[in-house]
Amino acid sequence: MIEYRGLVKRFGDRTVLKGLNLRISEGEIVFVLGTSGTGKSVLLKNTVGLLRPDEGEIWIDGREVSRLSEEEYLGVRRICGMVFQHPALFDSLSVYENVAFGLRRHDRLPEELIRQKVAEALALVHLPGVEERRPAQLSYGMQKRVSLARTLALEPKILLFDEPTTALDPITTTAVNNLIQELSRRLRTTSIVVSHDMICALGIADRIVVLDQGNIVAQGTPREIRGSEVPLVQDFLAEVPA
Amino acid sequence: MKSLRWKETLQQLFFVANGSGFIVVFCVCFAAMVTILEASFHMKMVIQNDSMVPGFAALLILKELGAVVTALLLTSRVGAGIAAEVGLMKVTEQIDALRMLGIEPVRYLVLPRLVACVIGAVLLTLIANMVCLICAMLVSDLMLGYSPAMFLSSMRIFVKFQDLLLAAVKGAFFGAVIPLVACHFGFRCRPGAEGVGSATTQSVVVASILIIVLDFVLSYTFSYL
Ligand SMILES: Nc1ncnc2c1ncn2[C@@H]1O[C@H](COP(=O)(O)OP(=O)(O)O)[C@@H](O)[C@H]1O
Ligand SMILES: [Mg+2]
Repeated sequence: MIEYRGLVKRFGDRTVLKGLNLRISEGEIVFVLGTSGTGKSVLLKNTVGLLRPDEGEIWIDGREVSRLSEEEYLGVRRICGMVFQHPALFDSLSVYENVAFGLRRHDRLPEELIRQKVAEALALVHLPGVEERRPAQLSYGMQKRVSLARTLALEPKILLFDEPTTALDPITTTAVNNLIQELSRRLRTTSIVVSHDMICALGIADRIVVLDQGNIVAQGTPREIRGSEVPLVQDFLAEVPA
Repeated sequence: MKSLRWKETLQQLFFVANGSGFIVVFCVCFAAMVTILEASFHMKMVIQNDSMVPGFAALLILKELGAVVTALLLTSRVGAGIAAEVGLMKVTEQIDALRMLGIEPVRYLVLPRLVACVIGAVLLTLIANMVCLICAMLVSDLMLGYSPAMFLSSMRIFVKFQDLLLAAVKGAFFGAVIPLVACHFGFRCRPGAEGVGSATTQSVVVASILIIVLDFVLSYTFSYL
């Protein structure tokens, strides 16, 4: 479904991703863990062409995408939904317009259907009835959920989450994690979840990948990760109650 | 012209023109007073006669002051605002989100601001020139003893219609420089509040320098046309 082959990304003379290889199958939930600044967001942004790799290949649905033009990438972005680390809502638009934005641009649906899909997406993130509000009138956690709804409304086959639960309260965190799991089960959505949260990862991931300074230092099922000897993994495991 | 986004363009125009109108008029009046009083003071000192001052002041106002003062004020108000806004959009990943949802962010954000700033700057430059001239006329009447009629006839010797045209052309060029520079730095904004701050500062500095240099180039070119 998604495969990275020898992915290298540099910024100036700093190499952030150092020849990363990773293969993710359809319907899989992969958690990518790592400390801040190791290139987790850079990895996701390369996947959807917001950044382009300096070397290596990215295969999505049997197609090498890393050298596509910006227009050709549109098709990839249609099937790959990305939920950003920031809520990244458009301040000047209402919540309704924010969630409807992608539906209008990508699919040109009739207004009736858009209204219905927006309502469904907001219900999925447990935020009914906020359509007419502005992003600035919502709490940070609510903004993040609206942002999630904006991506979910497009019903992407692949979902990329950049720290979806960072700075959310425990109840919303659980709800978002359940949602990720449910989407994967029900619609066979493939998910890559970038996170710091080992507890969530152990709970819902099919596979956990630990990134350190642009390299994969450990990967495996939650069970395998629990038994890992890698020091960074041990650090992450230290916060998990036994 | 669907891509221009009329509503956004009009909002931006309102922000540029209405929001800056008062400061521009206010500052330009003071610039006019200083110009005319200083010129008169020195003329009197050197050649004991300031009869050329009204015409000369009018020339200076139309050719330089009106457009440049307006542009520099717009740079610090509108340019800084645009740089901070676009920079914040970059930092909070709104620009990435636009691209994900199939929007070309450069066209989406820059075009409405460019159109609004060019129109706004031309309008404000012309208004500033008018106000500035009226102000200079009042000062010469009240403080130098040249009646408005004398001011106008003295002005006619120095000033041609082309000078007003030059002012408008300058306004248009400066109006384009401001949002282009601001967006340039906004799109390259580094993460964090510090990034937004430095994008804003850099955009004001660079736009101001470009305006001064461009002013020279345009004046120079026009005097040979
Ligand atoms: N657009 C960019 N330009 C320059 N450097 C960047 C850019 N994006 C990310 N970086 C750098 O790459 C490194 C990894 O960033 P990132 O992927 O955001 O880390 P994280 O793993 O916390 O998500 C950081 O050191 C960051 O400074
Ligand atoms: Mg990140």
